[in-house]
Amino acid sequence: MSFLLRCPNCGERSVYEFRFGGEITQRPALDAPAADWVAYRFHRVNVAGLQTEWWFHRSGCRQWLQARRNTISNEVVETYLPGGKSS
Amino acid sequence: MKIRFNGKEIDAQQGDTIASALYRNGQRIFSRSFKYHRPRGLLCCSGKCPNCMMNVDGTPNIRTCVTPARDGLEIKHQNAYPSLDTDWLSLSQRFDWLMPVGWYYKTFTHPAIWHAAEPWIRKAAGLGELLPAKSAEYEHSWMHAATAVIGGGASGIAAALAAAGAGESVVLVDDQTELGGKRRYRKDQTYRESIAKLASLPNVKMLHGSYCFGLYEGNLLGVLQARPHPGAAERLVHLRARRVVVATGAFETPLLFRNNDLPGVMLSSAAQRLYRLHGIIAGSRAAVVGDPTRIEEIEADLEEAGVSVVARILPGDVIEAVGNSSVTAIRARDGTFPCDWIVVCGPLVPDAGLAAQGGAKLIWNEERGAFLPANLPSGISVAGSASGEGLSASTRPLPKGKRTFVCICADVSSQDLCDGVSEGFDHIETLKRYTTATMGPCQGRMCQLNAIGICARESGRNVAETGVTTSRPPNPSVTLGALAGARHHPIRRTPMHYAHEELGAVWMDMGDWKRPRYYRTSTSSVEHDCVQDEYWAVRKGVGVIDVSTLGKLEVRGLDAGLLLDKIYTHRFSDLRPGRVRYALMCDESGVILDDGTISRLSGDRYFVTTTTGNLDFVNQWLEWYAIGTGWDVQITNVTGGYGAMNIAGPKAREVLANLASCDLSTVEFPYMACKEAQVAGVPAILLRIGFVGETGWEIHCPAESAEQVWRAILEAGRSSAIQPFGVEAQRLLRLEKRHVIIGVDTDALTNPYEAGMSWTTKLDKPDFVGKAELSRAVNSPPREMLVGFVLPGKDVPADGSAIVSAGRPAGRVTSSRYSPFRQAVIGLAWVSPGKAEEGVNIQVRVNGNLASASVTMQAFYDQDGARLRQ
Repeated sequence: MSFLLRCPNCGERSVYEFRFGGEITQRPALDAPAADWVAYRFHRVNVAGLQTEWWFHRSGCRQWLQARRNTISNEVVETYLPGGKSS
Repeated sequence: MKIRFNGKEIDAQQGDTIASALYRNGQRIFSRSFKYHRPRGLLCCSGKCPNCMMNVDGTPNIRTCVTPARDGLEIKHQNAYPSLDTDWLSLSQRFDWLMPVGWYYKTFTHPAIWHAAEPWIRKAAGLGELLPAKSAEYEHSWMHAATAVIGGGASGIAAALAAAGAGESVVLVDDQTELGGKRRYRKDQTYRESIAKLASLPNVKMLHGSYCFGLYEGNLLGVLQARPHPGAAERLVHLRARRVVVATGAFETPLLFRNNDLPGVMLSSAAQRLYRLHGIIAGSRAAVVGDPTRIEEIEADLEEAGVSVVARILPGDVIEAVGNSSVTAIRARDGTFPCDWIVVCGPLVPDAGLAAQGGAKLIWNEERGAFLPANLPSGISVAGSASGEGLSASTRPLPKGKRTFVCICADVSSQDLCDGVSEGFDHIETLKRYTTATMGPCQGRMCQLNAIGICARESGRNVAETGVTTSRPPNPSVTLGALAGARHHPIRRTPMHYAHEELGAVWMDMGDWKRPRYYRTSTSSVEHDCVQDEYWAVRKGVGVIDVSTLGKLEVRGLDAGLLLDKIYTHRFSDLRPGRVRYALMCDESGVILDDGTISRLSGDRYFVTTTTGNLDFVNQWLEWYAIGTGWDVQITNVTGGYGAMNIAGPKAREVLANLASCDLSTVEFPYMACKEAQVAGVPAILLRIGFVGETGWEIHCPAESAEQVWRAILEAGRSSAIQPFGVEAQRLLRLEKRHVIIGVDTDALTNPYEAGMSWTTKLDKPDFVGKAELSRAVNSPPREMLVGFVLPGKDVPADGSAIVSAGRPAGRVTSSRYSPFRQAVIGLAWVSPGKAEEGVNIQVRVNGNLASASVTMQAFYDQDGARLRQ
């Protein structure tokens, strides 16, 4: 694994500067059934293809960012700060 | 220039490789083969085959044919006893019938047989030996280029010139000592002009003597540079390029006939290299094997060198090379020709492995007789012979025979491959794994084409259908030292580090940090005695410990309390300024992740401490949970900015009072209060907390002044016999107070209820991380409970010792020490909920025996916390 990620703050960097934060998921409501919470905690879609995910730029600006990445080719389609697309 | 070979000094000339110097000095056998210990001589002379590998200055498996000779080098042969010329293990050839293809799988069918045989096999087979005393310096560097060109032959030079001419930054990687590729050993030397031009360009960097061993995602190239400077054995260059030009050329491969591995059988390119680069003529009477057009090319050079060509033989007509340890004749269909040199014009194979690693497909091309890269991904191109340019198919006979070696790395004969296919391994990838052909140090360079040919013929397919094995990095092999890089581990030292050293600290590692485990005294350096002294100082007088390694975060903003409420199980938005609260953090499964203290310094300013190891993750979590909330909150990691120490003991107040600018009386500064004040004239944050169970303050002050404060405290405490104490005494002190250490006494399944910390969770908060699960857990029976135990005597159970009930494991000890206060062994343990009651007896395994301990749910010391609050 040695692809590049474009940090919205710092620019294109080696993936080794980042910490992977996992798939972007939706936290269930507090009163949601236990099964929903179990799914939130343990189940991952693990998509073979485009995935939206969290990254933390540990060796750079130390900000969380989001990315859309193809999990088969590791091609990063876009990266953006949470809540706002870069483009 | 002098080098030493097996202890004997020999001369080397300028421009010599180790192998050329040895050859000139009469060495003909350079190695012994992997399995049968057959003699092997120079074959490729270009670092592509395994034949010339030796131990150079303590590093095994060095390809001596491409390693420049250097004054004072110490060379030793490998895998032969007593010497290369006489290797007793070559007798193993006589027993080859015992070692058919796949004999490991066929023979060692039971672990007992394998364990008995393994040491002998390891000794007999294999390559170089790694000497434990070996010390070499390795380093890493990073390079970026618009264009990286791999291969310094004609097409590589042309590609580099073109890219550089367009104004791009270019890095050119070449594995030989000089650029030029095969032009170097041709008569026409005009290519040198373009090298001079390339060298004059400021935007071109050249890495000589450097192997590119892999092309990874994102056009990252792994490049191994040999001896970048006299202080380093190897440098691993991480080369990242927008565009990669694979100009790795083509290499010559052996032809198959009986005894084709005999010293004196040499590839034509090797003969040319030896002659043109080193002035070595490797024989006087040569037989040349190859297609007529290829023979023509080499014949001119042989003629110039004054070699008489005794025979020109088509590849299909050769029967065997004759000789014991060197060539004496060649036997062909039309007769036997005495000779001392067999020059083989073998098929040329494009070196396209890097392109394949980059995502290209290798497609068989009948006309060029080679697998050629196709479907190149963008950003990768192939130039020159690596793309098949200028190649044409040549005759490649595939005779079957036990002494006809396909894989010279692992002594796999063409007979072995045929047997492998007939045993059912008829796919090239399974045949490879079964026979180990293509898996040796040359990574299939010498054998792949022949192996594929045999697999195709024996399985009734054509070469295109058979396909090629997958090219994976690293290829060629890389030393582990180079991958590991420089041998320095980052060390974090606290601001008081050198003061501890003066005090006789004995260090322990905590992550990257160095912490005093205990301090040697003038009378003793025995850990037990020193820890006892430190312990009693805290319990009866006063002690001070460096706690700078604690994670420290400042959380500021109008909504800082809301964020802390969300992350931690306790409530912090209602914490009064000037107060401290214990803070416990769980994940969404209700599992305890970290703990610390949170102090509210003022309305919008919280000071958060975390455990030493979890700072980074807690920091990231706080940041993550703040996203999208719209809250006014900023998180700053101030760990390195603050030094911290904890002064504790009945006399802590009177010592600190000499230095602190604030009133330390219990009325003005009660337990779990915090103040910003000066200590020894240094602005500090004082927290009145008590991990060790005595009156005490945790003092956080700017790191640059922390040593000054530390020394001032020791000075002020001199008359009270203040004692610096280390981590070991702290652990004993905290255990008596039954304070848990997260990650030691808790594990990846522990929730606060089971750990006896239900008081920390505020389920009436609207929401916090873990609330959903903890709301369920609070009403469920616990899985197990963390309890204290008291064990009479002095034998301390090891961490992790079993709690036994009716002969079965029923829990485990997490921490245990001898308590000087209780004069008994105390500890924490996980037990079944039924045992979690005051006074219940449990059986603890100590030193192999069971001992009876009594459970307690109380602290072992100062149960009501009176001393803490004093």
